Amino acid sequence: MTARPPGGDRMTELRAPAGSGRRDSAAGGSVVPGGSVVSGGSVVSGGGGVAGGRGAGDGAAAGGPDAPAAASGDGRLARPPTPPGARRTVAGWLRWSWRQLTSMRTALVLLFLLAVASVPGSVIPQEGIDPAAVSQYYAAHPTLAPILARLSLFSVFAAPWFAAIYLLLFLSLAGCVLPRTVRLVGSARQLPPRAPRNLARLPLATSYQTARNPAEALDSAAGLLAGRRFRMRTGDGWVAAEKGYLREVGNLLFHIALLALLGSVGIGGIFGYKADRLLISGQSFANTVTDLDQFRPGRLVSPSDLQPFSMTLDNFTARYIASGNLRGQPAAFNAAIRYSARPGAPERRGVIRVNHPLNVDGVQVFLIGHGYAPVFRITDGAGQVVFDNPVPFIPVEQGGLTSEGVIKVPDAQPDQLGFAGVFLPTAVDVSGRLQSAFPAALAPRVSLVSYAGNLGLDQGQSQSVFQLDTARLRRLPIAPRPLAPGQSMKLPGHAGTLTFTGYRQWASLAITYDPGQLPALISGITAIAGLLLSFAVRRRRMFVRAAVGADGATLVNVGGLARSDAAGGFETEFAELAAEIRDAHGGALQPGPAGQPADYLASDTAAAFDDDQEAAGNDGNAPAGRDDVQGATGGPAATGDDGPVPAATDDDGLAAAGDVGPAATGAPAATDDDAHAATGNDAAAATGSEPSRGNAEGE
Amino acid sequence: MFRLPRSPRRAARATRARLACPVRQASGVTAGAALAAVTALAITGCAGGAIGQSTAASNGKSFVAGSYDTTVYAHGSGPVSPDVKGTTLTGQKLALAGYRGDVVVLNFWGSWCGPCRQEAPALAALARHFRSHGVRFVGVDIRDSPSAAGAFQRTFQISYPSLNDPGDEIALAFQSTVPPAGIPTTLVIGRTGRVAARIVGQVTYSALGRLITHVSAEAA
Repeated sequence: MTARPPGGDRMTELRAPAGSGRRDSAAGGSVVPGGSVVSGGSVVSGGGGVAGGRGAGDGAAAGGPDAPAAASGDGRLARPPTPPGARRTVAGWLRWSWRQLTSMRTALVLLFLLAVASVPGSVIPQEGIDPAAVSQYYAAHPTLAPILARLSLFSVFAAPWFAAIYLLLFLSLAGCVLPRTVRLVGSARQLPPRAPRNLARLPLATSYQTARNPAEALDSAAGLLAGRRFRMRTGDGWVAAEKGYLREVGNLLFHIALLALLGSVGIGGIFGYKADRLLISGQSFANTVTDLDQFRPGRLVSPSDLQPFSMTLDNFTARYIASGNLRGQPAAFNAAIRYSARPGAPERRGVIRVNHPLNVDGVQVFLIGHGYAPVFRITDGAGQVVFDNPVPFIPVEQGGLTSEGVIKVPDAQPDQLGFAGVFLPTAVDVSGRLQSAFPAALAPRVSLVSYAGNLGLDQGQSQSVFQLDTARLRRLPIAPRPLAPGQSMKLPGHAGTLTFTGYRQWASLAITYDPGQLPALISGITAIAGLLLSFAVRRRRMFVRAAVGADGATLVNVGGLARSDAAGGFETEFAELAAEIRDAHGGALQPGPAGQPADYLASDTAAAFDDDQEAAGNDGNAPAGRDDVQGATGGPAATGDDGPVPAATDDDGLAAAGDVGPAATGAPAATDDDAHAATGNDAAAATGSEPSRGNAEGE
Repeated sequence: MFRLPRSPRRAARATRARLACPVRQASGVTAGAALAAVTALAITGCAGGAIGQSTAASNGKSFVAGSYDTTVYAHGSGPVSPDVKGTTLTGQKLALAGYRGDVVVLNFWGSWCGPCRQEAPALAALARHFRSHGVRFVGVDIRDSPSAAGAFQRTFQISYPSLNDPGDEIALAFQSTVPPAGIPTTLVIGRTGRVAARIVGQVTYSALGRLITHVSAEAA
């Protein structure tokens, strides 16, 4: 037996108008199906139907899938027009719908909708939070209330339309996050790019001459960088190294944790439950459906899933501030309990306080309220004791904890008896009227109106124990008189006697089980940790080139590049690394030239940044120039001993132009060995088969 | 009656005063709201929290109605009833194990529960009718006091014993198999000690009578 709230049939009712709306749009034959992002869910299926109709109708359907894509203005490249044909068109529509659903804009709209949809939850009384207020609303608005109920506005957070928004948002996020995750995994496993041709054009660069031969110099630099846990890639005359992949790991963690968070919330809603129980001191209860005052199960919770603990409230104490401005304010609530986790398990003692719940097998028991339960002994007209119970009275004000309650005595003879009244913990006479002056029971009094007749209980109707149905009761002719503990009231007409024997206190407990709570917490922490990681760690690259210069000495160029915008601190790291590499080479023979000779090809620099662009998700390499400009503006890199390296803007222009094709850039480079290296590199990149030591290390 | 005027300001103060720690104002609002809900509906009449319940909003009254639902198990396929024992309202020891070989009708009830009161005459009559057929009726009185329960038994002339179970321990014993999913709930236990049927909600003379006849005809 599964718990199924009565929302089931409502859901089908709600679906009907959506379906008819879809039919309308199909009949109208409008080009953009559904149109609004909100109805994205139904568009997936509805769009197919519409497109099918169009494909059969005329050949002008070619623009179908692409026209809305263009209209959406999301900047994607338009695909070549799909040839007319129902199948392609359906696929096109589906692809378009999916792209719409998973777009950032849709996710934001859904998030906004979710916020808007929650508004009725705080404006209209909610069943789950305040059922009494809902009843009052029914009484006050007899025509409007059933309409609101039909729209699930009394249980907004369980409404089908709310679930639709939630699920669409989940789908949208999942559709966005999963592909992105795959891409991030790829990015995290990527090898460093090949070293740019002209290292001097990097934001950070230095160069010097050394007595070592180029191979030795590169080996030593590579060893040093590998020792610093850089990921290495080597080629003919260069070494490239990259560090900071944790940034991608952080990014990944964040995205996965985000999905896990949503999943956890869903798990809580499906397998969790909430229940309430009012427990009088000395009473015990078991966590079973019959013994709960309210039970709100998750979708897949059945009564046998409840954790079988039982609990006794030994003592409830409330302390109040006795003087000063805060007189009457509570100072402490303390519920001393005994509990056993399952039948036969050893009994343990515990204390529940406000915001300090008891945890039994993952179920949390919160203390959320308290009050008084005066005890009455009632003898009926036949002389039998027919009632000897504490009766919970509900506080109606907090300053003095004045409480109201009713007593029902259905088995009194000859007539059923009913009482309604107030309990005053500290009764004081204020100009002839009794009021409660303090919440503690210093001078408890109870005052009751008495009824006899038919309580309406024997007709099988369930009644609230806090309400007296006076329709078939007659009021007994006895004036309500405040009773102190121990005092009695004799009912007229030999109807019986009522004795106020004393009082006890009650605590109201909220029992919640949410298996998604811990996963949600872990996911949340992981998401934040991942986010911090991706903010704190930056990816940075070091490049070293060594070649025999014109004078026979080896010219070593070292370049550095921090990939993220937050590159702060990399200058220092670069300077240290460059100095170490130079020291490992036995120091510089002489300071390197301030500017780089023209035999370094600008195009290669641009190519090195190409990889950046790919990682950012751009297909084309056209915008590669952007990084170049950055490099140029960030040009004066006051790093090494060599002083600022002026970055020629002319070179940048060349870079952008040279980027068009390797052939064009290769031409002016044909002056020395480097040119050879350049073409070789390009070829290797094209085939992707370049063997390197870094490759092996990287994987 | 005695209802005091409730101004919004007073309500706000009520929320504040609920909390032991005045510092936590923010959470106080929620706690206060939740408390209002609990106090308004706590111990809602009968069938407190039966599943598939319609709540206050849908029926316009502040009680939780039970879902009427009967589960019948094929002969020998029902779960084995736990050995329920305890003290009756009149102070005698009672154990279901002593009834092995008889059909046992176990009825969870409370004197405060409307549907229990309505089905009581049928149960009393059935108990008298089946007494000589090896069918034992046992009540389980939950969330009740002995004086009120005794008055109930006098009113409806209930002749069979009822276990006093204010803490609902007996319902808990059935939790993992056939949990009583509301008040009243009636279990019919076959001669082999296996549960043969569960009725959630009030029983009728004819329906329960047919069930008992059916179960008592099964081989031991």
